[in-house]
Amino acid sequence: MQNKEYFTSRWGIIFAGIGMAVGTGNIWRFPRIVSQNGGGAFIIAWLLFLFLWSIPLLIIEISIGKKTRLGVIGSFGKMMGKNFAWMGTFVAFVTTSIMFYYSVVTGWCIKYFLATIFQGLIKKNPSEFWYTFTSSWEPVIFHLAAIGIGAFIILSGVVKGIERANKILIPSLFFLLILACLRALTLPSAFQGLNFLFSPNLARLGDYEVWLNALSQSAWSTGAGWGLILTYAVYSHKKENPLLISTTIGFGNNVASLLAAAAVIPTVFSYFSTQAFSHQKVLEVMKADNQGLTFIWIPNLFSKVPSGSLFLALFFLALSFAAFSSLISMIELDTRILMDAGLSRRKAVLIVGAVAFLLGLPSAFSMNFFNNQDWVWGLGLIMSGFFFTVVVLKFGPKNFRLRMISVPGSSIKLGKWFDILPCILLPLQFIAMLGWWFWQSYSQDPHNWFNILFPFSVGTVLFQWLIALGLFIILNKSINKKIFVENNDS
Amino acid sequence: MTLEALIFMIFIFAVCVGGFAYALYLSYKNK
Repeated sequence: MQNKEYFTSRWGIIFAGIGMAVGTGNIWRFPRIVSQNGGGAFIIAWLLFLFLWSIPLLIIEISIGKKTRLGVIGSFGKMMGKNFAWMGTFVAFVTTSIMFYYSVVTGWCIKYFLATIFQGLIKKNPSEFWYTFTSSWEPVIFHLAAIGIGAFIILSGVVKGIERANKILIPSLFFLLILACLRALTLPSAFQGLNFLFSPNLARLGDYEVWLNALSQSAWSTGAGWGLILTYAVYSHKKENPLLISTTIGFGNNVASLLAAAAVIPTVFSYFSTQAFSHQKVLEVMKADNQGLTFIWIPNLFSKVPSGSLFLALFFLALSFAAFSSLISMIELDTRILMDAGLSRRKAVLIVGAVAFLLGLPSAFSMNFFNNQDWVWGLGLIMSGFFFTVVVLKFGPKNFRLRMISVPGSSIKLGKWFDILPCILLPLQFIAMLGWWFWQSYSQDPHNWFNILFPFSVGTVLFQWLIALGLFIILNKSINKKIFVENNDS
Repeated sequence: MTLEALIFMIFIFAVCVGGFAYALYLSYKNK
């Protein structure tokens, strides 16, 4: 099936790309991880990995999407040969599995935004509110609302849906983040928070965990290696430069993360400035998990801030915008694949929406299931990134750079230095990240590290990956047939 | 806030915001 949809201009793919990259991870994970890893030292490592992992993978994805004009599975089939299209199926499945629970998260954000306005969330006990909410039917209703709105946007098409939504969501999100930041910085003792965040603390650079946390944060937060920007690149114009688009997305993502940290951390410091203050107390708050910090601590923090209710609502609105702009890219990834297989956009969106709702239900009902899926498929993204590296290695890094990245006539070209990334640096980072996360799982619970029923074990990761990989290898021929016959490619 | 942290903050924001602004400018210029 020929693709007839294109973004109206370069700004279309840039806004959509930033929307894809900036998600809840920027707002709820980055401030937490930067606090736990020595502030400034972590920021240096995190900035470095933007250039060593995230931007190179974004460049690779955009180049592939632009060249093949097919979704993730078709792209892998075209680049690697049809016998290896299962690699693309795995990449798509990892991102799809994340979409199932990401829609639930988006629902939580909408609920908290509405609860702040209509239910006076700020005056309630945050822990009680969170546990009552998550143990009720409400997460299912908000999950349905999130996937419904997301599907509606994708149904409207590339220009009227994706491009228009992101052109509204992204500037609004940055505006809200700047507003939250300004509010936080006018609180008493806020500058102690900035001091904590930006103290260079270079001694921490000797700690390998700081580096690995920085690499993981950059990998997860930019959306590199997820297959999402590849899907958007299918709709980009031929003249678009992958290097320029990737760099804009990467820097945009990092600015959003810094703004979020500059809003959250000073607020935490300000909250404790009225009590027996210590950095230890701040670290205790920041050690809470993602949900704990966002849905329990944040309402608590804002309750002590003048006009806190207004700023809490703005915070959850920003979080909802960030979540939506990422959720729609995940829905589009699957929609594109089904369209490659010959379905109309309408049919494809309906199928993706219905399946996403049904398979998101276990995460809406059970936090254990949610956490397990986050662990298994979050690590799956590292594998996805490696699969993209394999594509470049198969093609030849120099060949890939000259024929697929550097656009003829463009003044911005990628240098020879790029060739070293897929040959050495990307595989090394893949091994280091995966090995370290597996080691952490083992060292935290040596008795259960291979127990497939344990939510955070290495066993559950390998078990679920192998089932998925086995299934995709078996079904490879029939999936190929559907996609390549439809696209008249023998 | 210490001078060291202030300088580091300005440096990091200059790199990230500057990089973002420059990339946006190049996107505009290379239409």
